[in-house]
Amino acid sequence: MCVIPVRIVTLRHVIRWAGDCVEAQRRCCTIGLAIKTEKLAKVYSHDATGRPVGLIDLSFEVEEGQVFGLLGPNGSGKTTTLKLLLGLIMPTSGTGEVFGYPLGSNAYKERVGFLPEGPYFYEHLNGIELLRFYGGLFGMGGSQLSSRIEELLHLVGMWDRRFIRVRDYSRGMRQRIGAAQSMINDPDLLFLDELTSGLDPIGAMEMHRLILNLRDEGKTVFLCSHLLKDMEPLCDRVIILNQGEVCETGRVDELLRIQDEYRLLLSNVSEELIQQLQAAEIATEIAEGGRLTAFFGDQSAALDVAQQAAAAGATIEDLGAHQRTLEEVFIDAVGGNE
Amino acid sequence: MRPVLRVARATFHEAWRRRFLNGILVFAILIIGSSWVFAYLQPGAELKMMVDTGLGAIRFFGMLIAVFLGTRLVPDEIERRTIHTILAKPVSRAQFLFGKFIGGAATVLFNMLLMGVAFYIVFALKAPAFQAAKPEDALILQSMYSNIAKAVVLSFFEAFLVLGIAVVAATIFTWIMSVIFTFFIYFVGQMSDFFQQLSDPDRGASKFAQIVLGAAYKILPHFEIFDIREAILSGTYTPWSMLFKAMGQGVAYLIVVLLIGYLVFNEREV
Repeated sequence: MCVIPVRIVTLRHVIRWAGDCVEAQRRCCTIGLAIKTEKLAKVYSHDATGRPVGLIDLSFEVEEGQVFGLLGPNGSGKTTTLKLLLGLIMPTSGTGEVFGYPLGSNAYKERVGFLPEGPYFYEHLNGIELLRFYGGLFGMGGSQLSSRIEELLHLVGMWDRRFIRVRDYSRGMRQRIGAAQSMINDPDLLFLDELTSGLDPIGAMEMHRLILNLRDEGKTVFLCSHLLKDMEPLCDRVIILNQGEVCETGRVDELLRIQDEYRLLLSNVSEELIQQLQAAEIATEIAEGGRLTAFFGDQSAALDVAQQAAAAGATIEDLGAHQRTLEEVFIDAVGGNE
Repeated sequence: MRPVLRVARATFHEAWRRRFLNGILVFAILIIGSSWVFAYLQPGAELKMMVDTGLGAIRFFGMLIAVFLGTRLVPDEIERRTIHTILAKPVSRAQFLFGKFIGGAATVLFNMLLMGVAFYIVFALKAPAFQAAKPEDALILQSMYSNIAKAVVLSFFEAFLVLGIAVVAATIFTWIMSVIFTFFIYFVGQMSDFFQQLSDPDRGASKFAQIVLGAAYKILPHFEIFDIREAILSGTYTPWSMLFKAMGQGVAYLIVVLLIGYLVFNEREV
């Protein structure tokens, strides 16, 4: 009689063991990945043309230790993406994982920090109480939490203002305390939505330094912003979203590099020279004050035109390989998508 | 459990900064404090009138606080987006909802305790004088001291149930709809015995009435079980077993309500 229950228990163990093996195998396959999404979509409604409004088929991967940027104009789906990754909303289709766990699982939230855009907190708490509250949500307490709070308040420059209540905070102070609460658990992955919003230039610079330090410590940072100049020196990889769809993705250095594009900047350009360049179908941009920029596919063509221009009396201001800015990449991507 | 207590504590501290709640409490204590004045409206039954007014005010204002606080607890977090930073931490929605309820219940309890203490003081000061004018009430007065405490305890449980319904209604409906819904359930729940009588086939109830009113009796919370004022006024002894039965029913109903709330809130987007 006792054989049957033993067999059942054994079978259960085998099934559980097999399940654990599959889970471990799955984790191993995704090791090194902080985030992975597959055709993740969140459709709120459809517009007059029947086009879905929301986020459409977002697939991307973020490796551990990267600073990843999610760029896009207002309403492009950045915040929706963040909310999906944090399990605040549910996808209409597609899947996603954070540290190998499905979206919304509490398991990965232990390792994650989040600073929302324009953060709101309980107004009646002061800086220390606020961080104590958030630390408590991670089960932290006692001297461990107290020393972490002190460390973070120094880090974000709020130690001297630690007893001020949140209701009396400026926008910049809210942003600083928001950054501190997002790091209370010493997260491996930080989601930062418009981090430098409301900060003065020095505050913004401090935050940039903070992100770079986090990257040096091996943390993964997921930045959402439309402030492209801020993102360019920080991000390793970016995704540009427009109207809920990915319109550009890649490593920042690759996106900024343009193969074989040279730029010649001239001043004192005569009408005759302009006509000659246009006749030769050379791409030009004419600015005020007789300044002209010409673009070339190869270096020798640029040198030929420079010699021709000098002979025609124009002044050569600059000649060299053209480096795009992230802003140009963004405008090209968003403009191209439209 | 720690996240639940953290959320509850923050909710409790924040609730005390809600002006409407402070306003209700001040008004309630004014009414309760002057309950002895209302007693003179019924000459010859001043003691009963005072008890009726005082306990009635505690129940009514406790219910009012529960409705207006309960229907704001979760929606305020969503509107002010404070919920985002909380649910992004390892806090499940069940823990969050339960924490909000516990914090709200602590607020309601503390408010009603203040009302209860205020009434006890008024009662202790004025009741002997009223009883002296009517010696036959001596026995009733003796039993009243403990019975008033029992009535106040039952009022707590009633208010907790109302709070639970309000919290859950607010996760489903808009604010105004959830207020209306909670008041509706409260007032209809006061009449659940009446539904049972109307659905009784021996009293000529149709098959349809038996099904509809019988279902209403079974589904609705029975708020009248929390009201023992009549027993107190008549000097009838209220056994503890009856109290525990009422509390048990209230807690069981509350668990079901919060479970429904969790199921709804778990699917809700914030």
